[in-house]
Amino acid sequence: MARLDITNLAKSFGPMSVLSDVNLHIDSGEFVVFVGPSGCGKSTLLRIISGLETMTSGQLRIDGAIMNDVDPAQRGTAMVFQSYALYPHMTAAENMGFSLKMARQTKPTIREKVAKAASILRLDALLERRPSQLSGGQKQRVAIGRAIVRQPKVFLFDEPLSNLDAELRVRMRAELIDLHRRLGATMIYVTHDQVEAMTLADKMVVMNGGIVQQFGRPLDLYDDPDNRFVAGFIGSPKMNFLKARVGDVRPERVTLSDIAGTSTALELPFRGFDPAVSSVEIGIRPEHVRLAPTDEAGPNDISADVAFVEELGDVTYIHADMPGGERLIVRSDGMRYSGGKTCRARLDPGRFLLFDPSGHRIRSAHAH
Amino acid sequence: MTLALDAATPRRRRMASVTYWDVLKWVIALSVTVVILFPIWWMINVVFAEPGTPVSINPRLLPTSLEAGWSKILMILRETEYLRAYYISVAYALLTIIGVLAVGSMAAFEFALFDFPGKRPLFGLVMLSLMVPTAVTIVPTYLLVADMGWLNTMQGLVVPGMASAFGLFLLVQFMKGIPHEMIEAARLDGAGHFQIYWHVVMPLAKNALVTLAILTFMRTWGNFMWPLIVAPNAQMYTVGQVVGLFNAPYSHHTVDVVMTANLLAAVPPLIFFLIFQRKIVEGIAMSGTKG
Repeated sequence: MARLDITNLAKSFGPMSVLSDVNLHIDSGEFVVFVGPSGCGKSTLLRIISGLETMTSGQLRIDGAIMNDVDPAQRGTAMVFQSYALYPHMTAAENMGFSLKMARQTKPTIREKVAKAASILRLDALLERRPSQLSGGQKQRVAIGRAIVRQPKVFLFDEPLSNLDAELRVRMRAELIDLHRRLGATMIYVTHDQVEAMTLADKMVVMNGGIVQQFGRPLDLYDDPDNRFVAGFIGSPKMNFLKARVGDVRPERVTLSDIAGTSTALELPFRGFDPAVSSVEIGIRPEHVRLAPTDEAGPNDISADVAFVEELGDVTYIHADMPGGERLIVRSDGMRYSGGKTCRARLDPGRFLLFDPSGHRIRSAHAH
Repeated sequence: MTLALDAATPRRRRMASVTYWDVLKWVIALSVTVVILFPIWWMINVVFAEPGTPVSINPRLLPTSLEAGWSKILMILRETEYLRAYYISVAYALLTIIGVLAVGSMAAFEFALFDFPGKRPLFGLVMLSLMVPTAVTIVPTYLLVADMGWLNTMQGLVVPGMASAFGLFLLVQFMKGIPHEMIEAARLDGAGHFQIYWHVVMPLAKNALVTLAILTFMRTWGNFMWPLIVAPNAQMYTVGQVVGLFNAPYSHHTVDVVMTANLLAAVPPLIFFLIFQRKIVEGIAMSGTKG
């Protein structure tokens, strides 16, 4: 268990900046997930923490000690790689005990520590097998076991479940949560899968373009994103974004018109809206849009053309095209699609998130 | 009845599927085999025959006297310096293999898995030496060895052959296939540079190392020119040179004795080939060369 502090960290490869101004504080025992699209710098950040990559500027501390120039093996971190990176010529036990062998520990100590890690991961029966004789899930457990025997201060996981099939991934996710509970260790996990991030994380770091977009609890990020990128990245299906013009601005309310190219105008409670902002993007999650019966038109309804429908049994997603060109996804629980070419979507203005044209969140003064 | 029919049908089908092209391939393969094996078989026939039996006329297909053959072998081993030549050749081959593997694997480890200033031009320079024929380098190498006072010594035989550009190329190509994550995992596991080389990369490169060892053995055992130049002293003769003496125009040995010397020289590579048959084929396929 260890605390980890990253201050003003930056990394560039030649003229190309891949990470800039990263500031993070990770508490002891937290499970933190770095999430973002490919190339956002999350793996580079993890590799900098592990010591496999150097930073261009900034500072990394583990338990208060500066780690910038400390050898990877001396940092107290252990990493689980996406490809498992098991040594194919060694058995599972030898793989797990390799770091102890390098640390010149005695054979009985190595055996004991490997056996302990193996019992945590239910690998006892597989210790004498070579990686080629193990399934994907078993290999991943051996890779985790290799990390456990080192008793690191911080566990680092670099997309460890990407090579597994969907079912195994769900099972391994549960095992990782269980492992974190049992070891109580600080864990940092990199993934591009936001569902994986949401299910595992105590805290999430959403990254894009080498910049930390937001750091916080998963549901805080889901409910209260700082910007359009985080709003769009977290949640599946992703949040709907509808362009709108700002109409009447009053101290406690604001009226939005021409929503998504329709003539609909909606008034929503909002304190302290900046009158200089003339256009916004409304963010609204699919579950906050309802399908309205076609025979009873409401003031918050907008009409849209159905593009296609995903019927998953318990839930139906209707993808509709708005006159303004935006795609609106409506989540309908329990209701079945009747086959109509148009639908009426009922928006809940109380759930609107507003973003300015540069993608920054415009928060109501109520929120603070 | 039904069973008999069932059993016969696939056989007929198999026979029917044999084409003229298949037959031609078999004929060609058999002819090549006969051409390759006949001299060896002829050599064995000549050795295992009574001394003085004419060899060029009245060809025999089977050895006529095992006893006579054995006595010729024993005579060569006891009355000539053949055993010493065996010892020199084996030592020359083994030390060269060890040297080539050690130097080649360490250099390949750096070239394949790490970056350092001047890596590409250096590797290019080494590869360029592959293009230079041995005959061009043999005189300067001889002068160097002579300057060092290594003429007629084992190090004079072995050391110049230890730096093998071909071996480096083979090992670099193989080591490039080792995932970088494995090296990083070893670094995180606390392995130092040499430990990564020894505990991770060397075991993973085992197949390439075995291939290189085999090719080096074949090259060294059959090397006639370099030992002839650098070790002219009879005390340092290799098997190749001794066989050369038997074959010399004024050697006064009869054909059967010369053939016995040839057979003795061919036995180690034959045994070696039988043991490592599969690996040799794989190795030649891997290296894309016949060594």
